[in-house]
Amino acid sequence: MKRIYAFEDKCLGCGLCEVYCRTAHSKSKDIIKAHKEENIVSGISIEEIMSPKSAFYFALQCRHCKDPKCVKACISGAMYKDENDIVRNNKDKCVACLSCVLVCPFGAIKKNTDGKAVSKCDLCVEVGSPVCVENCPNEAIKLLDEDSEILK
Amino acid sequence: MKYLIIGDSAAGVNAAQTIRSKDKEGLITILSNESIAAYGRPLISYYLSGKVLPENIFYRNKNFYKKEKINLFLNTQAQEIDVKNKKVNAAQKEFEYDKLLIASGSLPLIPQIKNLKEQKNVFTFLTFDESRKIKESINPDSKVVIAGAGLIGLKAAEGLYGKVAKITVIDLADRVMASVLDKSAADIIQNHIEKKGIEFILNKSVAEVEGGEKVEKIILSDAKTLDCDIFIIAVGVRPNISLAKNAQIRTSKGIIVNEYMQTSESDIYAAGDCVESLDLISNESKVLALWPNAVSQGETAGANMAGEKKLVPSSFAMNAISFFGMQLISAGIIGGSDADIYVDKNGDKLRRLNIANDNLIGFVLINDNQRAGIYTALINDRVKLSELEYDIKLKDIGLNVYTKEKRRDKIFGKEE
Repeated sequence: MKRIYAFEDKCLGCGLCEVYCRTAHSKSKDIIKAHKEENIVSGISIEEIMSPKSAFYFALQCRHCKDPKCVKACISGAMYKDENDIVRNNKDKCVACLSCVLVCPFGAIKKNTDGKAVSKCDLCVEVGSPVCVENCPNEAIKLLDEDSEILK
Repeated sequence: MKYLIIGDSAAGVNAAQTIRSKDKEGLITILSNESIAAYGRPLISYYLSGKVLPENIFYRNKNFYKKEKINLFLNTQAQEIDVKNKKVNAAQKEFEYDKLLIASGSLPLIPQIKNLKEQKNVFTFLTFDESRKIKESINPDSKVVIAGAGLIGLKAAEGLYGKVAKITVIDLADRVMASVLDKSAADIIQNHIEKKGIEFILNKSVAEVEGGEKVEKIILSDAKTLDCDIFIIAVGVRPNISLAKNAQIRTSKGIIVNEYMQTSESDIYAAGDCVESLDLISNESKVLALWPNAVSQGETAGANMAGEKKLVPSSFAMNAISFFGMQLISAGIIGGSDADIYVDKNGDKLRRLNIANDNLIGFVLINDNQRAGIYTALINDRVKLSELEYDIKLKDIGLNVYTKEKRRDKIFGKEE
C-alpha cells in the first residue's frame, strides 16, 4: 500500500501542506473560503521540535495503520478501513466521542471545529492524489510504497 | 466448520468478521437476544436525545451480514449450552456448533431497593430497546430520577436533557464517575452538568420506592423523598455469565479465558464484557467492560476459532466521553498510595498524569484532548519516561517526545 511519509530533515515548517489539505477538503475548494468560512481542520499538521538553538519540523498525518486502533475503538462504526486499506471516517456516523483520539498512538486525529465529527487524512481519495505531497516545496512529504528502498 | 456466536455486539460482530476473513466457506451463525442488528451500544443516549437517527445507529452497513454470509437470528435468547453434544438451545431451536463463542456481554446491576419490582416506569439503560422504551415513556412534565452517576447514568441524563421537566441523579459515592475520576476532575464534570439544571444528590442511595403499578416516590437513604415519573437504574453492570456457569465452564466474576480467548472447554471461546482479562497495569484478572477491548477480544477469538494462533492484545481501562460539549478522556488508573500525581488545571481544562516507577500509569484530560493517544501509547508500551526527550509533565504531549530515531521508526511503520 502507498502511504505518505514525512522527512524531518527536509521539512521547512512552512505549513503549505496544511493550507492545501484544508482547501482540498473544503466544499468550496477555494483557498480563502476554506480558511475564513468553512473552518476546516487539516488532516496533516506541522509538528515543531524545539531545541536550544533552533526549531525543527515534521509533517504528521494518519499512518493508515495495518491494524488500526482507531477502527477498533470506534463506538459507532464510523471509522473503517476501506477496500484499498485506507482508514476513513464516515462523518454521518461519527458522534465525535473521541475514542479514536484516545487510542491513536500518533496523535493524528483531531476534533472538527464544529465538534460534530473528527478529521483525519484520507489520502485525498476523493481528490485524486494527495495535495500535501504535490504542493510541498521541498519534497519533505512523499507518497511511497511501504517497502520502498528510501524507507530502509 | 460450524461457528456459532452468542451475542451480536462489538465482540460477536468482530469475531464473525474475522472468522469470515480466514474461512470463506464455514457456516457462521449469530444468536442475538436483541430486536435489531448490532448497533453502537454507547449511541443509545444519542438516540434518546435525537442526535443520532435510528438508521445511523447501526454498527455495520445494511448489507454486512449478507455480504459476509453470516446468519443472524434476532430475538433469539440462548438458553443452554449442551457442551457434550455441541449444541445451543435457543428460542425452541437447537443450534449445532464445532466452535462456539460466548459474547453475551453485560447485564445491568440491580441494587437492593425495598418494593422495587418490575414497575412499568422502571428502566435500565444498556440496550436500544430500553432506550426506545424510555423515549416512548417520557413527556415534557416527567420527573426523572437516575440511580447512578457513572458513565451510563450521566449519559442517560444528557440524552433526556431538554425533553423532561426534571432530572435528578443519585449516587452513593461522593463524586460523579467515581470509578474513573478523582474528586477534583469529577467536580469539573459535575459543575458543568449542573449548569444545565440537572440535580445531583451524592453520598446517598435509593432505599425504597413507593407507588402501585408505577413508582411514584423515591425514598433515599437519609429518608428524603423525591417525586418520580421515570426511574432509571444505572448503578453499574455485571458480566452475563449464567450460560457459561450452567455449562460448567470456569468462571469467576467473569468467564475465565486464556490468552487465545479460549474457555476451560477447548471448543468454546468467550470475549467482550462477559470475560475477565489481564489488566496490564495491575497485572490482575479483571472485567474490563470496554468497547475497544471487546473488539480486540472478538477479533482474537475469531482468529483462533478459525484455526490461527493469535494472542490477545494487552488491555487496561480507558474512556472517551463527552457531556454537553465537555470532553473527558482518561486511561489507566486514578492513583495509588505511592503514585506521583501531576495536575495542570486551568478553569474547565484539566490534565492529570499519574506516574509510578518511571512509567505513566494513568491520565485524565478534560477539554484538552488532542494527541491523547500518545499518552495511551506510553502506558500501553510501558515506556520509561526518563528515556523520552522531555518531561511529559512540563508540556503538551506530541510525537516529538520520542527520540528522532524512535519517531522515524514509528512514522515509517517499522514497529507494525
